Amino acid sequence: MQKFVVVALNSLLAAGLYATMSYGLAVIYGVMRIINLAHAGLMMLAAYATWALNDRFALDPFLSMVVVAPAFFLIGMALYATLIRWLPRSSAGPSMQSLLLLFGVWLVLQNLAYAIWGGDTQSILTPYTMESVSFLGGRFGVPQILVFVASILSLVGLNLVLRRTYLGKAIRAVTQNRDASMLSGVNAGQIAAVAFGIGTAFAAMAGSMLSTLYAFTPDFGRSFLLKAFCIIVLGGMESFTGVAVGALVLAFIENFASAYTSIPVSYQDAISFTLLVVVLVAAPGGLPGLWRMLDRRVMAR
Amino acid sequence: MTAVLRRHPMLPVGVAFGAFLLLAPVFAERGTENDLWNMSFFLVLAAAWNLLGGFAGQVSLGYSAFVGIGAYTTVLLAKAGWSPWLTLPVGAALAAAFSVVVGLPTFRLRGPYFTIATIGVGEAVRVIASGLDFTGGSSGLRMPAGTFDFTANYYAMVGLALVTLALVAWLTQHAFGLALEAIRQDIDGAEALGVNSTQVKLQAHAISSALVAVAGGLFATNFQYISPGSVFDFRLSLTIVLMPIVGGMGTLTGPVLGAMLFSYLQIKLLASPALRDSYLFIYGGLLIVVMLFEPKGILGLWERLIALWARRRPEQPVAEARRAS
Amino acid sequence: MQAESGPILVVSSVSKRFGGLLALDSVSFEVNRGEIFSVIGPNGAGKTTLFSCLVGAQRPTTGSVRFKGEELSGLRNDEVVVRGLVRTHQIVKPFRDLTVADNVRVGVLYGRLRLRGAKARERVDEVLTRTQLGTRASVKAGVLSIGELKRLEIARALATGPDVLCLDEVMGGLNPAEIQQAMALVRALRDSGLTLLMIEHHVHAVAGLSDRLVVLNFGKKIAEGRPAEALREPAVVAAYLGHESKEETRA
Repeated sequence: MQKFVVVALNSLLAAGLYATMSYGLAVIYGVMRIINLAHAGLMMLAAYATWALNDRFALDPFLSMVVVAPAFFLIGMALYATLIRWLPRSSAGPSMQSLLLLFGVWLVLQNLAYAIWGGDTQSILTPYTMESVSFLGGRFGVPQILVFVASILSLVGLNLVLRRTYLGKAIRAVTQNRDASMLSGVNAGQIAAVAFGIGTAFAAMAGSMLSTLYAFTPDFGRSFLLKAFCIIVLGGMESFTGVAVGALVLAFIENFASAYTSIPVSYQDAISFTLLVVVLVAAPGGLPGLWRMLDRRVMAR
Repeated sequence: MTAVLRRHPMLPVGVAFGAFLLLAPVFAERGTENDLWNMSFFLVLAAAWNLLGGFAGQVSLGYSAFVGIGAYTTVLLAKAGWSPWLTLPVGAALAAAFSVVVGLPTFRLRGPYFTIATIGVGEAVRVIASGLDFTGGSSGLRMPAGTFDFTANYYAMVGLALVTLALVAWLTQHAFGLALEAIRQDIDGAEALGVNSTQVKLQAHAISSALVAVAGGLFATNFQYISPGSVFDFRLSLTIVLMPIVGGMGTLTGPVLGAMLFSYLQIKLLASPALRDSYLFIYGGLLIVVMLFEPKGILGLWERLIALWARRRPEQPVAEARRAS
Repeated sequence: MQAESGPILVVSSVSKRFGGLLALDSVSFEVNRGEIFSVIGPNGAGKTTLFSCLVGAQRPTTGSVRFKGEELSGLRNDEVVVRGLVRTHQIVKPFRDLTVADNVRVGVLYGRLRLRGAKARERVDEVLTRTQLGTRASVKAGVLSIGELKRLEIARALATGPDVLCLDEVMGGLNPAEIQQAMALVRALRDSGLTLLMIEHHVHAVAGLSDRLVVLNFGKKIAEGRPAEALREPAVVAAYLGHESKEETRA
């Protein structure tokens, strides 16, 4: 029982990070129906930026998020203005063109990192990196706890923006029904730019957080990108609360699989990749879709 | 004779090209032969992938899995005493079988979702291959001694490239090609006219994966050493996809142009250390430029230029300026 | 071959639910061989959904569709087409990058007939001639006019060699002369041995062409029978007047 609680708590901690990482992808997909493969590159770049700030100015990685996030928000808007804006808009869903274009951006970002920082593995060492806290018989790393706190703060902030600001409401509106929003006077181009900025900022925050937990190279990010995608599909791609649910589900599956089965750690990533394929195929509406299906079965006499 | 030529305007060029490749060992030096081998290898991968990816429009970013299956099948069987040549059909069959296993669930997905699923599958395969013991783990495997014969391998690879081109040309010129095109343009519309789209996709997937696996087997024999990093690499999957995209998807000559370009790039990149570090810039930049300006690649650009030229000469019917595919 | 007795298409209590919306509510009717049978009703009545359920593009939530004695529900769209039941789409979507001839060829190669080679070429020519698209054979489908596109849509479906052809608003967006042409084509198709189902908003075309019809409203069947009688039923009149049905449908 105690082990169960410890594993559950670890899952919760991981879920926070996963949620932050996935919201970046979800906002962009929701507003523009674009699958942002550059998300991985942006997370990686932010990790490096955080490391650089830590290396040069001894700035604590969590504090540097205050700088990194807004900077990447602007980078995101710039990406939109220079590249994404020109993509043809198709109402029939995400296009291969946008997917491949952003894939190209990801490659360029990787090379940028190689060029600036070289290919060696980097990691951030802070006074608390090795510290951990004892609770209920389990040890929880201090960085994991701080990451969780940071992610909760970022999600609360996102929630406030989405519910209280005009731009936030416009984003939600466009996500639910693009045409109707435009008819109501929403400037789709402006919203798209902001959404891309927010998505990039969240990728950056996730990257900063990841930099405190893992070592990284310019190749970093692919497995997290796939996990993020798995999460937003699980969550049902159109729902924001769904992302949080998806993050919890994936985090729980991963942690419980490694704690209670003998699947070696190196195969753990394969779990999320397989889950991604399974969910895409078996439950394209994600968990909300499954819920609706169950609901219908119950309703239909 | 003229009828055949009209249907396949590039046939003379193809024959000349094939003759050049086959005669090369006679007059070219080893370095050039190596480059031509590389180009043929890329050509097989690009042209085979194009069957499903370009003609049918299902972009898979997981094709390195098939290269790996072919390569590992050859090495493992050769170590067990098989002749390397006999291992090739086995690798092809295994790859085709795997392609069906992967395709059955994933072909229910459309467009980008399918692509993302293939990334997932490719990565899962790589992770698993790096972890298994009998595949040598992440340190790879070596071919047994005495299996290296460059000239024979060269002819095999060139032969494979020509066979691939001929096969793709034959398939796409007939009923199968029309089904692929219909699926690419409007899959629901195709099904509404009787096309069993899943079956067609599975067939294209199986044929292309088998060809790619044979290339992988020849790769293993040529380089004598393989590892998950070299054959299951995501970058290989990426290169395979980039070639037809840049050259022109869904055409016969597009992958050829793409293969030529990328093998040339590879030569240049390996030669200059500065460029070697920038290959991602180049690949990424190419992808961005192509997607923004001319999604149909080099051939698309060519088509546009021809159309512009034809418009200036109104007596020339535009229909005549048809693409070479 | 002796024609089978009994209706060629039997729809029994077909319902279709999309989440909370009941698009079709226990619809039943029969269609006899060689009939021109129309499905009419105000916008949103579920007519296109009905066609989708017939050909396998959608799966009925409940109910059955029997075609030539065989149960169709549960089969894929392409499986149904191969058995001889095909439909046109209200919103025409040709294969834009293919020529008119190639568009038709898809149906010839993969429909019920599955012809190849010279026979296939002959059939393509035959279908193009019947739909008056012969002169446009080598033109890319993307440049056709709306009238030609509608004819192409019919040609594509016809190419599959069906027994039953379901036409979904083939007269939408046509001018009066084109409507006359379309009506003539429909009659010619029936005379050549096809059974036709039609969804149509042009009430006078429906009245002029149909042997029998069924009227849907909010997914339910509210009338059935010969045009003269069914169109006079109070429920039908109320349905149309209540919804201000226009002759020109949405684009």
